[in-house]
Amino acid sequence: MPDFQPKIVAFVCNWCTYAGADLTGTSRMKYSPQVSIIRFPCTGRIDFMLLLKAFASGADGIIVSGCHPNDCHYSSGNFHARRRWIIFRGLLDFLGIDVSRVQFSWVSAAEGAKWAQLVNETSERIRELGPFTGYQRLRGLGVG
Amino acid sequence: MNALQEKARELLATKTVRVVIGYGPGSGGQARALFVREAAQARELIFDETCLQNLAVYLMKPDVRQLGKAALVARPATLRTLLQLAAENQLEENSLLALVPGADGVLSLSTFSALEAQVASQDNELSVAEKSELEKFAAMGLDARREFWQEQFSRCLKCYACRAACPLCYCTRCTVECNQPQWIPVPAHDLGNLEWNVMRAMHLAGRCTNCGDCSRACPVGIPLYLLNQKLILDVSANFNSRSGMTAKADHSLSTFKPDDPEDFIK
Amino acid sequence: MARIGVFICHCGENISATVDVKKVAAAAARIPGVAHSVEYKYMCSDPGQQLVKNAIREKNLTGVVVAACSPRMHEPTFRRACAEAGLNPFLCEMANIREHCSWVHEKGDATTEKAVDIVRTLVAKVKKNKALQPIQVPVTKVALVIGGGIAGIQSSLDIANAGHRVILVEREPSIGGHMSQLSETFPTLDCSQCILTPRMVEVAQHPNITLYSYAELESLDGFIGNFKARIRKKARSLDETLCTGCGLCMQKCPTRRIPSEFDAGLGLRPAIYVPFPQAVPNKPVIDREHCTYYRTGKCRLCEKICPTQAIRFDQPDEIVEVDVGAIVLATGFDIKHSDFFPEYGYGRYPDVIDGLQFERLASASGPTLGEMRRPSDGKVPETVVFIACAGSRDPAKGIEYCSKICCMYTAKHAMLYRHKVHGGKPYVFYMDVRAGGKMYEEFVRRAMEEEGVQYVRGRVSRVFERNGKLVVKGADTLLGARPIEIEADLVVLATAAVAQPGAEELAQKLHVSYDTHQFFAEAHPKLRPVETNTAGIFLAGACQAPKDIPESVAQASGAAAKVAALFSQAELVRDPLIAVVDRQAPPVYSSCVGCFLCQSACPYQAIEKEEIRGRDGQLIKTVAKVNPGLCQGCGTCVAFCRTKSIDIQGFSHEQVHAEVLALLNRGERDA
Repeated sequence: MPDFQPKIVAFVCNWCTYAGADLTGTSRMKYSPQVSIIRFPCTGRIDFMLLLKAFASGADGIIVSGCHPNDCHYSSGNFHARRRWIIFRGLLDFLGIDVSRVQFSWVSAAEGAKWAQLVNETSERIRELGPFTGYQRLRGLGVG
Repeated sequence: MNALQEKARELLATKTVRVVIGYGPGSGGQARALFVREAAQARELIFDETCLQNLAVYLMKPDVRQLGKAALVARPATLRTLLQLAAENQLEENSLLALVPGADGVLSLSTFSALEAQVASQDNELSVAEKSELEKFAAMGLDARREFWQEQFSRCLKCYACRAACPLCYCTRCTVECNQPQWIPVPAHDLGNLEWNVMRAMHLAGRCTNCGDCSRACPVGIPLYLLNQKLILDVSANFNSRSGMTAKADHSLSTFKPDDPEDFIK
Repeated sequence: MARIGVFICHCGENISATVDVKKVAAAAARIPGVAHSVEYKYMCSDPGQQLVKNAIREKNLTGVVVAACSPRMHEPTFRRACAEAGLNPFLCEMANIREHCSWVHEKGDATTEKAVDIVRTLVAKVKKNKALQPIQVPVTKVALVIGGGIAGIQSSLDIANAGHRVILVEREPSIGGHMSQLSETFPTLDCSQCILTPRMVEVAQHPNITLYSYAELESLDGFIGNFKARIRKKARSLDETLCTGCGLCMQKCPTRRIPSEFDAGLGLRPAIYVPFPQAVPNKPVIDREHCTYYRTGKCRLCEKICPTQAIRFDQPDEIVEVDVGAIVLATGFDIKHSDFFPEYGYGRYPDVIDGLQFERLASASGPTLGEMRRPSDGKVPETVVFIACAGSRDPAKGIEYCSKICCMYTAKHAMLYRHKVHGGKPYVFYMDVRAGGKMYEEFVRRAMEEEGVQYVRGRVSRVFERNGKLVVKGADTLLGARPIEIEADLVVLATAAVAQPGAEELAQKLHVSYDTHQFFAEAHPKLRPVETNTAGIFLAGACQAPKDIPESVAQASGAAAKVAALFSQAELVRDPLIAVVDRQAPPVYSSCVGCFLCQSACPYQAIEKEEIRGRDGQLIKTVAKVNPGLCQGCGTCVAFCRTKSIDIQGFSHEQVHAEVLALLNRGERDA
């Protein structure tokens, strides 16, 4: 499927990764336009239900990114998020859902280059994996 | 009269408790919950290998609470549930008696420290059989697992019997009932069924005490216990934590350690 | 029915060069609920904002999406404009089609489509926005200044003179910082201590300033206007109230051969000491690591000699808790030392020194009393080589940035050397001379043209010893990279200015961001250079980036002005982007079941238990309640709540849910 352009949603925190992605912009680094960002105050705010909703709505991949450990604007939101993702990933994998479609990362406000690299690597991986038909078929999205 | 019946009779006769929640003979060789409110009825109580239900589920029902102070026949998982409920502010200390039948008679526990001591003395780990079933599952491969669960969930009726049977599903409003936004579609189709079961497993992560009542309640026989046991293992392996061990708030998903594993994070 | 206005900005050509803004406007107009969609060259300009205001009034808009730059840039601008037009400011959202779209993608359909996706997402969000009222919280009008160098001193004095109490915390036994170590200052060559020490005394005597020297921040809780700081006062091993600073103990202390930190290791000090004679406070500390008594259990000479019996060997550290409303971070910088420059022989040859050591050699209060004598043998150096950019602007060394102060101080050093050694030959190896600043270029010119300092453009490759001389090998790139060798008696490295050790740890305690070099990060590189991203914490001086004295002082005064502005109101108005717990009419009261798992997740202890009681006073249920003064709006509790009883204003369940669905469901109508 050479023309496949994956749809990737990035759930990011306002203080680190959103700002880091801003820096990617101000530094005029380029990345794949298939990724769109939704802003949250903190990774701690990101409900696992939203990840399910993203897949159900047709996302082929998801990025979840926030502040590095100890750098959270709210001290510990990212630590709570990390525990949640450990369990969530384990559960998805147990249910046979490919967790490599969800990329977790820490991108600080200073890491504009890391953001661009993360987006490009993730898009490339999702492109190789192809559309997430297994999930999209659940709702009869007519993909694939 | 056996020791349990005698204990129940005494508690009711002395009005120490208003109701003893225990097991009585049911149909089809299964035990059923028995609410004993008169001392004379205590002789109907049984306690054997058919008595599986986690009776703590009744403690969360308003009409049971209205009956007055209760004594509850408790199996090991029930005791963990009581502590977990205590940790979640759902159970006051000394508000009930947990009756633990044993070889030397019936223990009657009411303080949190007594409950904690009893739980600490029993085996709370997953059994070897339970662990090996999970291992088999892990070895199955991603696609096989997906097919397995898709087949299982395709039979889910969204009847919520699992929820009703679960003593930790005491929320008065469940996420599935929220409609602004509608987190989970109402009809029982594949997507909604998956989302419902993922949601329920996530909400029980770090809380489930592995009583198994969800699976026993499921009318179509979905092995829900597998999801809970998987997360019990993950919580234990990653956070070195186990639900139902203490009455103190120590929920593994609302606490953290700075050095929690993060090999999956770029 | 929603009536949303969409305003698409060209940002000159920053957006319109890669995004087809007309297409975006047309697509936005087709999104259900959008009543108005326009594009304009500069939406943030006055006429641009007027466009938004007029449309709000004329089209009776219920929500606004400005598709332009990052909300971190102009969200306040447009929210203010909406408020001025009578629309609740929290009904305005920014769609970031610049930093997250036009600047990071090539021109083309995919980029325009993404811009439409972003706009559609924010339209979906804003439809679910609710009018919110700002929150008022009280302000504790006491400032905490961390770091007692010139920046911290200036900030403290400015805030104190504005009539507010200041708590100044300094890690070292005395305030003064690096400036107190300097000999003369550029470009005026006035004596550093002569201009600094009166300020230090003023700090000590100011009725509004409480000074904790030899103290460090232990922990910080709270938020703007309402911080709680715990300060560790390290044990000086004496009773400060009794000590008169007579100095007898220092004269009699038998352990005298400890390298003096103040003299950058070139001088010696006793185990009980003040860093320098003009120290503020002028009370010694016992260096427990070196003191004979602490090492062997014997001596106690200082205790015997002290006329006021002030020595306290068993004094513990003391923790002081203070309530403060604002914090100024002024922890300064450090310079690279020791083995960072093996190629220059630093640390191996005693006569290869760094800039701070040169300052001490040149200082009248230094180990040589201002005479230019080199460390190894006390000889007056006849030839001195100054190497600029030692480490700085050197990606190979991991320091890409310019340390900014070295060009100027190197010129000063060369001049000071010439003033002290009239026949001396100073050479400066440099990459570029960066002398931006009032009278700076003139100063460097003077060094080159009037003071006989030989400037050589080129990098030094190696410094090695030969026949008692330090041979400096380099190349003169202005003469076709001609190799050059100078036999020097003293080599001075203008080593890179770096962040203070411990800066990262301190930033984590305060929850302020820092850059890859551990300098603290400002909220905005141009428009908010003295604020951090953590409200109520401000930056002053070289802890943010290398800075010279006038810049540090200017920023310190800027930070002080920010603090004074914050303290000018009795109450602080905050955005209401906080969590709230569901409340309903009886008999439900709240969907919260009171499990309180959210409590341990909250980093701010903002979740309280509220008992709901009937008319007869009987307890009906205990549910969670968010203290709006404490909640900072992270939303960690929100994601935990199984009953979805906690929601966060501004990032509510409905808002983010709508965003996810809108982003992914392009639909036919706006394709």
